[in-house]
This record gives sequence, structure tokens and C-alpha cells, in this order.
Amino acid sequence: MKPVLRPLTLLAASILCPCLCSWAQAGSAVRPTSSPSLAHPSSSENTVVIPGPLRSFLRMASISQQISPDDVLPLLARNAYTVGYRAGVQTEYMNILERYLHQARELQMMAGSSGTIRVANCADADPLLRILGYRIRQACGQKDAALVTADPERAFLTIDSGFPLTILEEALQNGVPFTYSFPDSHVPVLFRESDWVALSGAKSRGSQSLIDVMLHEPAIDRLYWAFSQSDIETRIAMERSPGLRALLPYAPVLDFYGTQICIRGGRVMVPGGPSAEAGWRDLAGASPKSPGDFVVHLLEQDNGWLAVYFDTVARVSPTQQAYLTTAPRFKRLYSAFREPDPHANPAGAVFRKAPALLMLFTRLQTGPDGEPRIPGNLEVWKQILNQKTDSKVAHDWARRSRHWDHPDQLLEGMAGLSRIDTDQGPLQIYLMLSELDTVRAPEKRLTPETVLLLGSKYTQLSSWYLIFSEFPDLNDASIARFVNVADAVNGISNAGLRGNAMGVFQANLGIWQILARQAEIKGTNLNQSWLKAIEPFAGIGSSIQLFDAGQASLKTVMVAASGKADLSQGELIELLAGPPQQSPEGQRMRQEMAGKIRAVLEDQRLVPLDTLFALSDGLTRMSEGKPASTNLIPLANELREFELPRPIFTSSEKTEWAPGVYANRHAELQVHVDITKVIKTPGSRPQLEAARGQLTPFLRDVLVGLNYAYYEPPGAQILHNNPLFVRSHDFSGETIMGVQELWQAPELFNQGSPAGGGAYLVGSLAQLPYVLATTEEDFIAPKNVQALIWKEVAADLMVNATLPRWWNVTRNELHAVTLYQRSGEELLTASLTNKELRGRVINILSERISPQRLGRLEQALEAGDAAASLSYVTPTDTFQLAAEFRRKFPQEAASWGTAGKQLDTLTQQSPAEVSVQRLSRDFGTPHPVLAQTYGNELLNLQPFPAFGGNSSRLLGESWDSSNLYWARLADEKGYPPVMLNRLIPELTREMVANIFATDIEDWLALVRAMKETGEEFRQGKIGLPPVTEAEASFASQPVAVQQEQSQRSSAPAGQK
Amino acid sequence: MAKRYLFFFPIAITFLSIGGSVTVAQDDTANIRVNVDLVQLNVAVTDNKGNYVSGLAPENFAISEDKIPERISTFEEGNEPARQLVQTPPEAAGGSKQAPPNPKSPKQSPKPSAPPPVVATEVADKGHSSVGGEDPATLPAQITGANVFVLFDTSNYMYRGFVFAQDAIADFVRSLGGANKVAFYSYSRDLSRNSILTSDRAQVLRGVRSTVAGDDAALYNCLLLTVEDAARLTGRKVIVVFSNGPDNASLVPPEDVAELAQSTGTIIYMISTREAELEPISTAVFERMSKATGGKAYFARSWSDEKKAFAFIQEDLAHLYSLSYYPQPNPSTGWRTITVKLVGKDMQKYHVRTRAGYRLQQAHAAANNSAELQPESVTK
Repeated sequence: MKPVLRPLTLLAASILCPCLCSWAQAGSAVRPTSSPSLAHPSSSENTVVIPGPLRSFLRMASISQQISPDDVLPLLARNAYTVGYRAGVQTEYMNILERYLHQARELQMMAGSSGTIRVANCADADPLLRILGYRIRQACGQKDAALVTADPERAFLTIDSGFPLTILEEALQNGVPFTYSFPDSHVPVLFRESDWVALSGAKSRGSQSLIDVMLHEPAIDRLYWAFSQSDIETRIAMERSPGLRALLPYAPVLDFYGTQICIRGGRVMVPGGPSAEAGWRDLAGASPKSPGDFVVHLLEQDNGWLAVYFDTVARVSPTQQAYLTTAPRFKRLYSAFREPDPHANPAGAVFRKAPALLMLFTRLQTGPDGEPRIPGNLEVWKQILNQKTDSKVAHDWARRSRHWDHPDQLLEGMAGLSRIDTDQGPLQIYLMLSELDTVRAPEKRLTPETVLLLGSKYTQLSSWYLIFSEFPDLNDASIARFVNVADAVNGISNAGLRGNAMGVFQANLGIWQILARQAEIKGTNLNQSWLKAIEPFAGIGSSIQLFDAGQASLKTVMVAASGKADLSQGELIELLAGPPQQSPEGQRMRQEMAGKIRAVLEDQRLVPLDTLFALSDGLTRMSEGKPASTNLIPLANELREFELPRPIFTSSEKTEWAPGVYANRHAELQVHVDITKVIKTPGSRPQLEAARGQLTPFLRDVLVGLNYAYYEPPGAQILHNNPLFVRSHDFSGETIMGVQELWQAPELFNQGSPAGGGAYLVGSLAQLPYVLATTEEDFIAPKNVQALIWKEVAADLMVNATLPRWWNVTRNELHAVTLYQRSGEELLTASLTNKELRGRVINILSERISPQRLGRLEQALEAGDAAASLSYVTPTDTFQLAAEFRRKFPQEAASWGTAGKQLDTLTQQSPAEVSVQRLSRDFGTPHPVLAQTYGNELLNLQPFPAFGGNSSRLLGESWDSSNLYWARLADEKGYPPVMLNRLIPELTREMVANIFATDIEDWLALVRAMKETGEEFRQGKIGLPPVTEAEASFASQPVAVQQEQSQRSSAPAGQK
Repeated sequence: MAKRYLFFFPIAITFLSIGGSVTVAQDDTANIRVNVDLVQLNVAVTDNKGNYVSGLAPENFAISEDKIPERISTFEEGNEPARQLVQTPPEAAGGSKQAPPNPKSPKQSPKPSAPPPVVATEVADKGHSSVGGEDPATLPAQITGANVFVLFDTSNYMYRGFVFAQDAIADFVRSLGGANKVAFYSYSRDLSRNSILTSDRAQVLRGVRSTVAGDDAALYNCLLLTVEDAARLTGRKVIVVFSNGPDNASLVPPEDVAELAQSTGTIIYMISTREAELEPISTAVFERMSKATGGKAYFARSWSDEKKAFAFIQEDLAHLYSLSYYPQPNPSTGWRTITVKLVGKDMQKYHVRTRAGYRLQQAHAAANNSAELQPESVTK
């Protein structure tokens, strides 16, 4: 158990060691490290007692059992104020926790001073059983004796807390003594227990423990949690001044927006550094040199909005901070930000406010003139701001924009607009279009017309704009044509036809996107192929036209990717599976990926494209007066093979028990399609044409199915077990009232409605990888009792494992990923004993690690604890540390260990192959919310905090370590790089199952789960083949043997 | 395109034969390889009072699939040794379209030479008799060889009856015969594999007592995963669901779960509480899903009723007839309806309960994403 810090020790230390905080380094050189006394605080007094084993308490308090003792009270405090009370009334969570503590104290008394519960025999057992709420059935000492519930309330606590009831039962059956260690648990407390108890408003506070206080006073809980999120020096300084009691009223603001407050050497280290101190002093009304005064003013000013602003600016890079805090921009930006409603409460809701301000400041781009970059021009943005809106704030800024003549004014307007809680305002347009514009070459920037067009269609089509940032070669004409054709498709009056048109159109663009991403459509051909793919949909008036348009569009995509227009479905699937491979293992992996796509199509029982196109051709020939070919009837019969699942409910029951829920008309209509008659008769030309039109829904489904199948998340079940899932995709919103923006990312409907026929998606195919991941994530079974799938993060982890592919990664690249991580670890290890180096290491890491975690890391480094140090960093931290260190100190790159030396050599040999840029592209992750693209990148940023709405995904997008770590494992085990296509999804699935987190920003839980998975992989517990030798021997064998082995190796464990 | 189908319940006897042609869009001349597996039925026969009828012989049963008569291949009553009546499947059996072997399919064995049909000459010479009223306590030892998965609802809906339900499940686990393997899973929003399939009762009991209550209920999601785990096994597979009924989080409908259970020959028993019986949706699903798989639903009004329900399940398992057959050529590639009738004097008065049919499944479906049924994957 780690002792806690003593305030006085820390006070002295802080004076001796004026360390810089992560965000306060603009213009700073090397960061001094903390004094050793900070790293070794010690006081056995500063603990609190929790009755009974910690494991039981953690179960009852809904806290992960993988945390360190230091985190017990902070997490208890957090859970207590977030779930312990609702509208001021204690919840069942809190009731149960209270009851458990009562039971634990009774057991503690029974355990006595030895801390051990002893039951010598059956006669002895009664008192214990009474406390536990059980009784013994049958004669004690008999084989059939069993414990059964006597008092359900107590029995529940016994079970829920994990008391070893079965061991007690076995002891009683066998007539042997039972002993169970039931010691007190001592966990560290911030400051002293009495400091917190003294804050209590309860009359009985004199007799209360901190645990009692935490169970009953959520305001104190929130303050405790807030303090725990600060770094040690800051926390100590704030406890001294202004003190716990003075800060209690500001606990919510401190919780949400106080984690970046950093006090060193008697002053608050403000964002922007010393040059910004005067500005912050003016805004807060107190000097940063008077920390207590400044902190209170900061939290109080404008009802907390200044703290929001401080927190936001503190989270961006030192360069951005310097830019934002330059006068007069600094005050003008804040003025714009505070203005909309300074009396609103920024900490009154479940989530933090103004996520868009953080995105704006994080991603802000400036031009060569130092001014904020504006896509298009200022005039265009005035028009965008003046678009119709219901927001008063937006109205006000629109009015003011008429007089703008400087880019900074636009930036101020955007800061003001960040106060609006929306995902679709002018600020969101600005963020999106800035990204689109930034990734384009200077000569290919968006024209004002394009900016205006995209701005005007943002609400409707913004999810599709990600394609334009992923493929910046798509020019203004391509963008404009997409918008116009989408408009045309959207204007189809017949809802059924419109839905099918949207599906076919979007599915083909989805296929184009995959093939372009895999570079199977060459960069030089992007615009032409894009335009050809969308053009056929410009004037759809009937199902027949749609079928033809879909086929023509698909053929142009196939031509662009392969040079052939008449690919079979199997060949198209192979294209989608990945680019052609030269190596045997690459070819095998490509076949495996193709097999996965086929499996989804088969389980969805979709009619193959070949069948549809052959039928269409045959019917066309018949309509031209030619005889039907002999294979037409069997082909037509294939349409009839699809059967709806055997119903459990009658139609009337469905109507009654799932009112308003989708009747799957699209699928039901397909069941009744029978074109054999018109072939046999044969029908007239109009009848034959009409029959061809009936093929359109089938075409839509198989094209949509290809998209679904490509993005199949690891562990997917619905895709394999609900044959209506793809067919049920509602593009035109005919099943749900009130869904307006059907071109946006789809939403999941019909969850938890047993009579409703299963969940399905409503909306477009944009953002399909993420939505499928959110749909399938709960089919991963957590491995830890009490753990659930972490919804805020799991879907992003899964997207990171399915959307990127690793076809062109070289062995050098894979090894470089390992060496960067190891080199970063070497730097950390070397800094244990080298204070100067430690300062530089901390300085680099401070840009991407939260102050609290950085504080812990610094402590561990100072204590010389290598293992602890490494536990506080992620693979991306070490990767970025090595990369930054090499950039800043190239002459020292090889000085701190063998990995650094090897990396140096590798870099000299293959500079382009192992460049950070290339590794970032190949092992980075997509950031569709933050960077508005599905392109991969490693971003050197602090993790984003948890937000609500669409911004909630920022949290998951902050995690980019897994793929680097899996790549390192693959390198260590000698896997060919192409095997990453199998390894990464599988290991990610295992990792998701291993996660055991408590709070929503529990990054260390991800690190633990990832490393645990890695260890299981190393030990061979995860069923993936040991590769190098196998691959080598595989390659040397005849094709037939390869196929047989391939089949066997693909069989699940236990079936080989 | 050559589609792959697979009969579930993969018994060790598998072979390949040449079947009829398949309509294939891209390759009309493809050779068709047919995997033929035994289709196994677990059949309960009861009289009007619900008493089990034992002592029936193979010739007392007439099986048809889509009205095509089938020949019984193996026959077993309760826990008696199985008798093999027909050693080989019919020529061109199944009539199903079959692609080249699926890599994930366990049925990769080469085609053995087909021996001539052998009809068993030894037929059990037993009269049939009603055995209702037997003491359930004497029954567990008779239940051999079954793989029993217990799926326990730990969602917020189960909170009040949580400990009583655990007691009942613990009793059920204790009382199962030594030859049975038992797995204990629990679910709320997600599935928890508390104790993987094992014959070690103490391990299962520890799993039962390790459960933690709380969160949403995704019964059908988790039942689907349990069926998939069961589907990978040979032998008799049984899932006993203990749930309060409501489901507010599932994404798959019960229809899909029921089809998979039927197609993999997995019997589902459902035990629920009075609350579920009061809710018509749960009542309907529980009764219909269990019936379709050859199982039964029990609605317990009290915790002691829960124990009785478990006793009924034990009794049911002990009295099942296990029959298997190789399907005759059947053009259906979709759902196949199974009918089992009793043949003989006075037999029509008895009631037969078994699964309603099965759907040809893609070969990979059951194997995909199931739990590793190895000790390593045991819940921590």
C-alpha cells in the first residue's frame, strides 16, 4: 500500500522545486524535476479504514478490482456523487453499499483482533450464518448439507460482496473448520481523514469516518474527486490556500475544469506561460502569483466559464497556447466565449460544456501571415453564419458578422458559438471545412463557392464530407457533383424507390471509398472514377433505371480498381478484401479476408450480384425478342430461396407488443418476388422490364451487404445471425417518424424490443464502421465478473481494428514500431538516474499526458521505480517520446540504449520506410470527429475528457496505443506484417473483453487490458497460430496442401 | 455461387457423397460436395397426465422431414447405450447443396467407403409404461452425457429474487448426475461465462455464487451466445435459462435464437417467475421458444416452485429418447420441418415433444466467435 503525502513535506518541496506544468511551457526550456521528498511521502496516519477485505468493498462500490489502493477513495467519491443520489434521494446503489458496510462491521467484530473468521464446527456456524443471511439445510456434517437463504437482504450482500460461501458450505458438509481472513483494509486518504470529516455538515460528524461522510455528502465527494485529479503539488497548495472549505462551493467546477490547474513554486502556471500571466490576472481579477486567490477567482468568475476557458486553453499544444494568449486576441476570444450567457452553470449537467471550443483550439490552423486560416473567404462565412437558425446566439453573431473584415473576428465568432450545445452549427461547419481545406495542397484549396455549397448542405450531408478530407485529391467539381446528385436522389418522390436509390448510391460510393483507401483506385484516377460512379444516379425515375444506374456505377468502380468491368462477385470481393498480394502469406490472408466477407453475405442470405446481373441481361435479351436462356429459370429460383425467419409472434401480437415498430416491408416484398412466370410465359416487353425492376431491391441489399461485411467488427453476431439485418436498413426513414437527416450516420432502432423483429439501422451508410461497432460490441463477453463493455470506448477500439488495413506494411516498418516503443522505454529508464534527462523526458511527455498521470510518472521516476514508471505510460507515449526526443536531440538519439541505436541504424538504412510520418499513417487511427477524416494518424495530444453528444467520441478517439502495441507483439513473435489484418481485430476483441474500468476516463484500465491481452498472446492462450515457421513451410508446399492446411488452421479450437 | 450448408449436430460419423447439381450463377458445372450429418432428435413422450412414457422401441417412432420419411439411424432411451440401427446414410443423402468444405467446418473428413446398410437386429423388448411420479431425487444419476448450460439473469429485473434463484440453481447443479458437464453463465447487458463447461460441480457452484447483480437485460443476445457455445459440442446439449423475462437491451430477436437452437439441436428450457408470466411477451417467447426446441417453459410462483421446475427438467432429461437419422434427399435449402409420430397400437394417445425442424446453416455460423471451451477462458 502506498503511503500518502504529508502537506508540510510537500509545501517545502514545492518551494524547492518550481516545476512547470504540461500546458505552461510556451517558450520554456527544460523542465526541472520534483524533489525526492515529493516522491517518497510517507505517513501511516494518512489512511482510512474500510471494514473487511478490499475486494469485497470494491465489488459493492462498483469499483474495478484492478485499481491501486490510492484510487479507492477517489473512485468511491466519484461513484457516490454520480450514482449514489438522484434528485437528492439516495439510490439503491447507496442503500446496498451502506448495508454492506454494516454487515462487514459485524463480520469484523466476529473476526476480532486476529482479523480471521473461524468456525470450528457446525454448532459454531450459527452466528456467522445469521450475519450472512443463510441457514444450513439438512444435517450439518452430511454430504447433502447445503446453505440456503434465510434472510434475502443479507444473503444478497453476502453474494454480491463475494463472500466465499461455497467454501463455507463445503466445510460444513465435511465437518471441517472454516477460516476466512477478514481484515480491515487501509487505503490512502488525501491529506488527513479529519480534514474531510470536518467539512461535513452532519451533526454527528465527530463520530463519523470519512467513509460515512462519503456515503452521505455528495458535495464533499465531488471535491474529493476533483482534488484527486490534480497533481500532488497543486493539490497540496490548494489545500493550504484557499483550503478545502473555501473550495467546497466550487467543487463541481473544480471537478470538470480544474484538472489543468497547476501550482508550482507559489504561483499558478497559466496557459501561455509567463507572458500570459498578466492577461489571466486581468480576466480572473487575481494574480497567478497568489494561487489561492487566483484559483477561487478563476472558479468563480463568470459562474465558472473562465475556468472552462482556462481548462480548454491549457489542453492544447504550447504553440497553440502562445497563439491564443497573444494580446489582444486573448481577451477578445474570452470575451466572445463568455458573452452568450455568463450566468449559465457550466458544471450543472452530466458532461462538461463547450467541447467544440476545445476542438476549435486544438485543430486551429494559421496561415503564413499568422492569421487564422479561413476556408473560402470571410464573405462566404458571413453567408454561412446568416443561414437560417433558431439559436439566438447564432443570430447575434450573424448580425455582428456583417461588419467583419478580419479573420480573427471569425475566430472570435466561433469561440462564441462554441457555447451552443449542438452538433450542427456554423462552428461545426467551420471545423469540418477547415479540416477539408487544410489537407489540400495550397493550389487546391476549396473555392468560396464550394465552401458555401458544403456549408449550405452541412446539416444534410456532413457525414459524407469525411470522404473529401480522406481523399483531398477529390476536387471542387467532384465535391459539387456529389452534392447535386445526392440532392437529386433525395428528391425522388416515391419513398420505396428513394430508399433503394439512396442505398445503391451510397453502397457504391462505400465500395469506391474502400478501393480508393486501399489504393486499388489510383490517386490519378480518383476524380474521374468518382464522377463516373455518381453520375448514373443523377436522374433516377424508376426501379429499372435505378438497377441500370447501380450496375453502371459499380462497373465504373470495378474498372477503376481492376481495369475490368465484368468482375464476378467473387472477384469483387477479392478486390475489397485487399490489394493483390505477392507473398504466399499475403495471398492467404487476402483469401481469408475475402472469406469473411463472403460469410456475411451468405449469412445475410443475399442474392449474388452475378445472379442479378445475369437475370437482368437475360430479361433484357428477352425483351428484345430473343429466347430465354436455359439458365434463367434456375437463376430466377435463386431469388425465391430467401425465407423470413420462422415467426414466434403473430402479426396481431407484433402490432400489440411492438407498436410503431418497423414491419420489414422491404424484406417481405422480396419473399414474394417471383419472376419465373414472366420468363416461362414469356411476358410482354413491359412485363419483362417490370421484372427487371423487381431485381433492384436485391441489388441494393447485396451492395449494402458488401459494405456491412467489409466493416464487420470483431466478434460480430448480428451480421451472422439476423438474416434481416442488412435488408432492414432503412435509408428513407419510412419506418420511423421524426428522423430528419437520413444522409447522416445511421442510428440503431428497435433494441430491447423482443416482438419487434430485431435491431436495425436507420440513416445512411456514412460512419458505418463506427455504428456497426456500437451495434455489435455487447456481443463481446467481458472476462471479469462485474465488468461490462465500456461503451464510450469499445466501439472506437473496434473501428481502429477494422477500418485500417495493413497490406503494405514492411518488416522494417513493423520493427521500427517496436524500436520506437523500446527506445522510449529506454529513455524513461535512463531518466531514473539522470535528472537532466528526466527533465527533458517529462517535458516532452507533458504535451500528451494529463497532469495527474504525469505527476504519478514523475514520482515513480524520482523514486527510481522503473516498473511503476512504465505502468503510467502507453505505447503511444513511449513512441512519441522517442520520436520527439530524436527530433529535438538528434545527436543523442542513439545514446540511451540499444533500441535507440538499432533505430538509428534502421533509419539510416531505410529512412522513408521507417519515418514517423509513414508509421503514423500505417499505425495511427482514424479521428472522424476530431480530425473529420477516416485517414489514419497518430496525434500527439492529451487525451480528451468525456463529453456528451457527438463529442463523446473524442474520448475514444484519444486512444491510439493498441495498434502500435499489437504491431510490436507481431514483430516480437515474428509474424509477417500482413498477418496484422487478422491479429489486430482478434487481439482487440480480447482486449475489449479484458477491460475492467471504473470511471469514464480510466485510461489505465485500457493499458492494463491491452497488456493483459498481450501477455495472453505471448503465452499462447489466444488461439492464433505461431507464424514464422508455419508460414515458411506453408509457402513451400503444393497448393493443394496449402488449401487443406488453410482449412484446418481456420477451424476453431477443439475441432482440429 | 456455390453456397455452403451444414447440418448441425455434428456427430462423429460424417462423410461426403456426390449429390445433385446446383444452380450456380457463375459456375453451372461445379461439382457438388454434400456433407451429411446425423440429425439428432431428443424426443419426450408423455401421456395425458404429463407422465413420461418409457420403454418405446425404434419401430414405435416415425420420423419425416418435410413429409419425406426418414430412417432412424440410432436410438437411445434415457441413459441407455445408444443402438445403431442404420450405419450409413442414404445415397445422395440430404439433397442439400454443398460447397467445397468450409475451412471452419469441423467436417473435413474424407469420404469413407459406404458400407451396405445394416439394420439392427436387436430390438429392446420392453413394454411401455408411465413413469410419472418418480422421485426426482432418484433421477439425476440417470442423466448421463448431457452438456447442460445454465444461463442466469442477473439484470436489475432479477434483483429481488436473486438469492433464491441462486439457491435453486445451486440445488440443480448439485443434483445433476456425475456424468453431466455443466456450464454456468450469467447475463445482464453482457454475457459472463462464470464457469465454463466442466464436470467439477464445485467449480460450477463457485461460479453460481460469484455472480453480481445489476444492469440492463439482454436475454436474447446472451442466449444466442450460449447456443453458439453449445452448438460446438457433440452429445446432448441443453440450455436452462433462469430469467425474470423482460429484455430491454437485446439486438437479436428471439426468432433468430430459436432457429439457431433448433438448427443446432439445442434444447432450451426456460424457468421464469411470476413476473414473467404476467408479462405476455415473455410468456409467449418462453413457451414458444422452448417448445420449438423440444424443451419446456416453467413459470414459478415462488422460490420453491423454482426448485420444482429444476426437478422437472432433470426428470425430462432422464426420459428423453434420442433418435437420429440421415436425411433423405430433400430439395429444400431453407427451413426443414421435422415431424415425429408414434406408431403402433394405442400410441396415438401419447404426446410427442421434440424440435420443430431446422434450417440449413452456413458452416461457419456456429463456430464463429464462440467461447474457447478451454480452461484458460474461464472467468476471472
